[in-house]
Amino acid sequence: MIILPTDPKHDDKLKAKNALYRVIDPELFVNIVDLGLIYDIEFIEDDIKVTMTLSTPHCPMGEAITGGVKNALGIEFPEKDTTIDLTFDPPWSFEMLTPEGREQLGV
Amino acid sequence: MADINIGKAPPNSAILPFYATGAVAFFVLCVLMLISAESFTRHYFSPHLLTVVHTAALGWGTMIIFGAAHQLLPVICEKDLYSPRLASFSWYTLTTGVLLLAYSFWDFNTGWVMISGGTLVVLSTMMYCLNVWQTGKICSRYSIQKLFITSSAIWLLFTTVVGLLLAINLAFPFFWKNHLDILKLHAHAGLAGWFLQLITGVSTKLVPMFLLGKSKKEYLLKYAFVLQNAGLVLFLADGYFMGVSSRLLIYALIVFAGIVCWLMYLYDAFKTRVRRKVELLMKHTIISFVCLALSVLLIPVVYYAKGTQWAILYGTLLFMGWITSIILGKTFKTLPFIVWNGHYKHLSGKVKVPLPKHLYDEGLVVWQFWFFIAALAGLAFAIVLQNILLIRIALGLWVIVSVLYGYNVAKTLLHKTNILE
Repeated sequence: MIILPTDPKHDDKLKAKNALYRVIDPELFVNIVDLGLIYDIEFIEDDIKVTMTLSTPHCPMGEAITGGVKNALGIEFPEKDTTIDLTFDPPWSFEMLTPEGREQLGV
Repeated sequence: MADINIGKAPPNSAILPFYATGAVAFFVLCVLMLISAESFTRHYFSPHLLTVVHTAALGWGTMIIFGAAHQLLPVICEKDLYSPRLASFSWYTLTTGVLLLAYSFWDFNTGWVMISGGTLVVLSTMMYCLNVWQTGKICSRYSIQKLFITSSAIWLLFTTVVGLLLAINLAFPFFWKNHLDILKLHAHAGLAGWFLQLITGVSTKLVPMFLLGKSKKEYLLKYAFVLQNAGLVLFLADGYFMGVSSRLLIYALIVFAGIVCWLMYLYDAFKTRVRRKVELLMKHTIISFVCLALSVLLIPVVYYAKGTQWAILYGTLLFMGWITSIILGKTFKTLPFIVWNGHYKHLSGKVKVPLPKHLYDEGLVVWQFWFFIAALAGLAFAIVLQNILLIRIALGLWVIVSVLYGYNVAKTLLHKTNILE
């Protein structure tokens, strides 16, 4: 997920992204940002909409990960509600890993 | 995420009792083997060995697999489990059934206790099949894994029904066929139908998931399904109507070809894996497959060579090598995650929490692995040599393996929520 400096919500998005580094995929031991699971973060009035995926559809850790996203953003933005738009289009693939994610996975 | 069901894990009460009971059964199994070490030098149709085999197949293998399957069915079918309550009932009936069977086989008390045990196991299997069928039915997406899991459940039902008939036949003889011949069919329906097809289906989902690998050669799994089933059906039909003969080698070859197709698929996923480092728990899986291949290759020796040791070695490689190794490895790739979900799912992202791998003692898993290697290799050599002292030593090592495994399972199950500073 790339946040452009010209984005009017740049600071909020960056703050949200930093909060999501705290959410770890319990199986892979890598945070979900570096895994490339986060596709987009939008700030719409009082809501934060996170478009994201999972490494496997119906991942057994799916609830923990999506719950973790809500928890992490709830701490940073207590006045806002978080909704999650879970998508498998495009499906997650290894190419979505950030260089840091690859390093943490030992790729 | 409105229209995407990421599913809810079944309640822990429907899963964890299987793991706890399986770990206890594994310890009991190893102790039973140790105190009946002489059975490893005799014909396989002996009371103590029948106890050992049924404890291994039902109390250990099937118990853990039921727990894992109830957890994984939603992953594979991408829908929630049909009925957690049925899963609980299948635990009650399986546990009681195994206890009754083991008790009655030990002194070979044929009669109503044995038959009741068999009936409870059949009931448990029926409930498991219903859960598999209904969970699979609400899953709109076709998957070869779903096919393997459904077929394995049907084979399990077939195996347990034949087992019940065998138990009845011991008390009230009614078979016009040789009891031992039917016993061979019963055993192989369980091995090549239930265990092989279940492990094939689940492993082709889990191994790529754990390794972050992919294979596009799904056609190999279709071949595997056809070959594994064709070989087994031909063996059972020919064995029942014509009697077990050397033709079984042809059927074993067909099943073996099915195994090779499945392993080729896994190898393809392994080659493309993102996680380059192969964890110790995955090495268990590799050893498991080697044991399976060795045991199938041993079939001609079992058939042609003299002496009882080859049949005993064949069974040992299958139960203590193939099935046990995959369970020892996969337990700590599934159980800690199930327990972790119960303790930390709602805390994730909020506070710093332990990872699933922190719920058990990783150091002990390393010891467990090396003791397992020593115990398995030692037992295999001791059986070939028919040396009772070596058999006892190897079986002592097996008890140590079961204690290490049981300790880690208990540690995981008894974990208390722990928020890190």
